[in-house]
Amino acid sequence: MRMGIFLALLGLGLGALIGFYIPVALPQDYAKYMSVAALAALDSVFGGIRAAFEDKFDQEIFVTGFFSNALLAAGLTYIGDRLAIDLYLAAVVAFGVRLFQNLAIIRRYILKN
Amino acid sequence: MPQKTSMYISIMLVAAVLGLMLSLQFRAVNRASSGISIDRAQEVTAELKRINQDKEDLSKEINDLTSKLNQVKQGQAEAVAALQSELNKVRMNAGLITVSGSGIELVLDKPDNTEDTQIPPELMVIQDEYLLSALNELWGAGAEAISINGQRIIATTEIRQAGSFININLNRVVPPYQILAIGNPQELMNTLEMTGGLQEYWRDLGIKVTIEKHEDLTLPAYVKK
Repeated sequence: MRMGIFLALLGLGLGALIGFYIPVALPQDYAKYMSVAALAALDSVFGGIRAAFEDKFDQEIFVTGFFSNALLAAGLTYIGDRLAIDLYLAAVVAFGVRLFQNLAIIRRYILKN
Repeated sequence: MPQKTSMYISIMLVAAVLGLMLSLQFRAVNRASSGISIDRAQEVTAELKRINQDKEDLSKEINDLTSKLNQVKQGQAEAVAALQSELNKVRMNAGLITVSGSGIELVLDKPDNTEDTQIPPELMVIQDEYLLSALNELWGAGAEAISINGQRIIATTEIRQAGSFININLNRVVPPYQILAIGNPQELMNTLEMTGGLQEYWRDLGIKVTIEKHEDLTLPAYVKK
């Protein structure tokens, strides 16, 4: 478990480092999609952590959920933009609510132990 | 164990991707706040286009107005030239400038005091009327400008006897009287020399008359006293 947390933090730091130092900057037009995708990814990660506390962690579900949630959120936002529907709001609300739920559950687990 | 390893690897991968996404997003958002937003850029670009269009229109207008101004200037120059020539003509007619051209020279001189005593002396004096009738004849023959002893004859010129002298333009003139007239020399000549004309009359009075044609006479301008 500690190994997992350590590796996760290491990966996060590594990714952040790469993100800060790669010369390609995210085009302004895609910042919106990336924001929604990041939100979805965050939700997936917290979902994974919660599953780990519940001992229901499934690696495949975790990995596929992470990528498909991110891509779907970004894709829906893009489609919404093309159709002049603010679908990213739906994504923000849905993932935001789940994020806080997950956080609450994780907090309870931590407090119980 | 291999399952655990692959799990760790996947967790690390996911975490790395998440970090990448977050940092990228962070950079994008930070850049946006420091830079210029797309909307603003578009707005400014549109404004630039509009202003360029305006500028083009205005430079067209400038060209248009400049050509108009040139036309007007040209017209003005022509008008000024026309007025100038008109003014010159009028000045010439009024006797305010010197004129030159072909014409005749008529000289009237009192007779020498000879033995010709049967003519009364007062008749031998050239009187103002003679000059006036000479002027009259010359004007009638189409003279354009006349002067007597350097006095230009204009509309207000007087020729009057003042005692034993004649005043022209308030200037005293004395014999011999040199009358210069610009016009067709032949016609001026004819009107004086015709039978029963002035020349004959003056000769009868004993006045010495000489008439000469000149190709190039110059008459002085009227000088106001």
